[in-house]
Amino acid sequence: MNSYEILTEAMELIKKHLAEFCMDWSIKGIIRNENQIRFSNSGIDINKNWEEIKLSLFLSKNRRTTEISINDLHPGTIIDTLKYCENLLNASKLNTNYKKLPEGPFEYDASIQDKIYDEKVVSLGENAIDLVQDAINASLNQGAQRAAGSFFYGDTQYFVENSKNIEANYKNTHLNFRIRAFAEDMYATGEAFSCSTHLENGFSAIKAGEEAGSICKQAEGGKRGKPGLYNIIIYPSVTVELQAPTPAFAMNAYMKKMGLSWLIGKKEGEKIANNIVSVWDDGTMEYGLETSPFDDECVPSKRTLLIDRGLIKNYFTNTSHSKKYQESTGNAGITMPKPTNTVFSTGDYTLEELMEISEKPTIVITSTWYTRYQSYAPPGALSSLPKDGMFLVKEKGKVLEPVRELRINSDHFHMLEHTIALGKNLQQVKTWLNMAGNTIFAPYMLIEDIRLTTGTK
Amino acid sequence: MEEFKSLADYALEFAQLDGKNCDYAEVRLETNKSDIVTFFNGKIHLGNLPIELTSDAFSRKTGINIRLLVNGGMGMATTNILTREAIKNAVNRVYKTAKRNASQRKNPLIMSEEKAYETTWQSKYKINPLNVPLEEKISYIKEFIDIFTEKHPVDFFHIFILMTDQRDTYFLNSEGSKITGHVPRVAFIPLIIGIKPGGKNEQSMSTYATTGGWDKLLSWNLKEKVMDKVKVLGDVILKAKKPPEGEIDIILGPDVAGIISHENCGHPNEADRIIGREGAQAGESYLKEHELGYKVGNECVNVFEDPTIPDSYGFYLYDDEGVKARKRELIKNGIFNEMLHNRETAAFFNTQSNAAARAVAYDREPLVRMANTYFAPGDYSLEEMVEDIKTGIFMESFTEWNIDDKRLQAKYVGQVAYLIQNGEISNSIVLKPALEISSPGLFGSIDAQGNTETMEWQGAFCGKSEPGQGCPVWTGGPLIRLRNVRLGGGS
Repeated sequence: MNSYEILTEAMELIKKHLAEFCMDWSIKGIIRNENQIRFSNSGIDINKNWEEIKLSLFLSKNRRTTEISINDLHPGTIIDTLKYCENLLNASKLNTNYKKLPEGPFEYDASIQDKIYDEKVVSLGENAIDLVQDAINASLNQGAQRAAGSFFYGDTQYFVENSKNIEANYKNTHLNFRIRAFAEDMYATGEAFSCSTHLENGFSAIKAGEEAGSICKQAEGGKRGKPGLYNIIIYPSVTVELQAPTPAFAMNAYMKKMGLSWLIGKKEGEKIANNIVSVWDDGTMEYGLETSPFDDECVPSKRTLLIDRGLIKNYFTNTSHSKKYQESTGNAGITMPKPTNTVFSTGDYTLEELMEISEKPTIVITSTWYTRYQSYAPPGALSSLPKDGMFLVKEKGKVLEPVRELRINSDHFHMLEHTIALGKNLQQVKTWLNMAGNTIFAPYMLIEDIRLTTGTK
Repeated sequence: MEEFKSLADYALEFAQLDGKNCDYAEVRLETNKSDIVTFFNGKIHLGNLPIELTSDAFSRKTGINIRLLVNGGMGMATTNILTREAIKNAVNRVYKTAKRNASQRKNPLIMSEEKAYETTWQSKYKINPLNVPLEEKISYIKEFIDIFTEKHPVDFFHIFILMTDQRDTYFLNSEGSKITGHVPRVAFIPLIIGIKPGGKNEQSMSTYATTGGWDKLLSWNLKEKVMDKVKVLGDVILKAKKPPEGEIDIILGPDVAGIISHENCGHPNEADRIIGREGAQAGESYLKEHELGYKVGNECVNVFEDPTIPDSYGFYLYDDEGVKARKRELIKNGIFNEMLHNRETAAFFNTQSNAAARAVAYDREPLVRMANTYFAPGDYSLEEMVEDIKTGIFMESFTEWNIDDKRLQAKYVGQVAYLIQNGEISNSIVLKPALEISSPGLFGSIDAQGNTETMEWQGAFCGKSEPGQGCPVWTGGPLIRLRNVRLGGGS
């Protein structure tokens, strides 16, 4: 039996048993073939391959609900697991949030499939190693002494069936490359990314290698920066941690309802950002790693405006957390909504122009990590650590002086409200540092009056 | 899992057949079961969570992980299609890629030589938390939700997460190891956010976790602790005042000592960071520039690591490379004394593994990880530590924290902290004292550690690598005293 046959047999078995005790149900079957090449010190450490057939179930009985994932597809395990779920539902309490699954039928945009699947990724094979080597060489050619990183690539097929007689499927491919370059001075580092669904559209590991190598070379000889108030220019990967959590996490309708959002008390129409900032949740974005024809409830994917020129426009939601039944934004998770691609508006500036227009002492931050919150309540106070090349801008962008050991101390309201200029191009970034776990499309951003601190001993 | 052991045996056998020339072969069969019951503000949630490391609410997974070292190149394949044909294909795939990787490497990868074991191990418990009925789990959590039915001076959001899981492993390698392991775990996580309407707020998250069974969790009488936490959060919101300026002395509670032992010592002592293997993931280490024997702190500082502590959340007796677990002395008398090793890093440093290789599931690579990291206790009581402090603070717990990827520059913001004046801890609560300090600066400021009576442990999930692995650990310590430090982040 091939993977598809194994999956189909398991789904049939589950459907047969679910009919006995479930009112609403959904089965999502996944066939995943994924690879990762991990490298450090410019050499490949390990090449991994994951082959997985997995089922994610949503089950509801008398408004008691549960979700479970199973990858042990032996009939005995499946039947035992379903019995276990039945007991869970019988013992559980009412899920007062739950509205039934949305009624179909739905029409899906057939063009989305082509935007997210590339046969060239499926047949990449051992060429992936050459691609990694080329990127390492590109970083070394820019002056790096060594490089580390990882390259994920693969394809996944999805098959969804639910109790509303909806059956749908799609497949996607993905490429996610990250490289970090190190100079001889181990504190001089640079990091860059490239990700897409297509090998020849929006993806260049070599370009990422060059960028990482170039940043690390410029970062050589950096000194501890002076604490104080600065304008900062952030790279798209920094937006993942500093700006995206508002639209991708705090604007989740469920998070807001549960108080796990710094937007509690904020209503549609209220101002939360400077008027140059608009943000969409876009499940239809070309080459987006979170793009799909439909969500877990089989609702067609959409482009939803979340922040409209600084004002809250919508919260993203599934059916259960929408204000009215059937008003989902196409963001199911059936129990909990999830973001798709978070897309920021662009401006008119190149990186160099952003450095030129900044009127106050300015620091360029190329990457950050370890963002932690004092509280998820308003205003989302946090600190975050710039990790790779960080540069003090001198003479209107003509000179970049490398600096180190500064920490960003701010909050989400302040950063969105003080975003005063945007770069002209979007870059797609998906990293494990994103608290919402999704993909971000962001330009460079200039943010004013950010407090940077440093250690006292 | 029993029914699939013969497939794991077959995988190892096949990896060494048909002219394949592996330097090393390893197979790990695992069953991972996980149940997470959550209540958001009193409402049950049996669904997935927006937490990357534990996203599936309920899961049942079984699969095989095959790692091969061929001519100095490493490959790994995992599959949950448990048939001989699928296993054969997986072995062939990993053999091919490992061989290809070898041709790209300048230096062949090698593994340290270790003793092989044929054994079985498990954690000790009476009641397996995974087998506790949902009704009982719900009524356990309800006890805590009841705390919020009383009137409080501030508003609260509260989330209670009860995680129960079980990991069963069958490990075998080409050197003759055959090890069966069984560990059920439970973690109870209250997340409480207190908000004064229209104003200040505070957030507290704790993790009470053990491998000692459901009975162990019940024995901890956590309701009182959570009630205290709720009360003191309200006090912090309503009464806290600006922290003192200038150089002061600080006493850190066991919570804070524990996180420091983990972040400022455990992580930088991970040998995979030191050799650069985590360079693009969890980062490297400031100790890369130093040899064993380097002085990182004052002589009284001892930070240890021990996976064999009974009931601990990081408990194991054999690691995921089949090496027997033992205590590790990371900082001894202020000296960088020992790194955490797996077999790859141990070979690099021409030493033996100290059994730090851990994976969280069958589909993850074993990496150098901590288990239970802690400051060793000293001789002091709290009274003795406070008596000669003129101006200082007692930082009992922390909220926001972070540290750079070399583990050199750290920040810990106090959550519950009291002013110390003239040798006495006052009732005056200090607002968010921020300790922003380097690792050597911190270890070099410690001059006293509390006695064993002041020692406490906390559960945690240590995140590392890509794809992420949230490893269950304990962090712990006694009270710790820092001399002559300044708060406030140098701004």
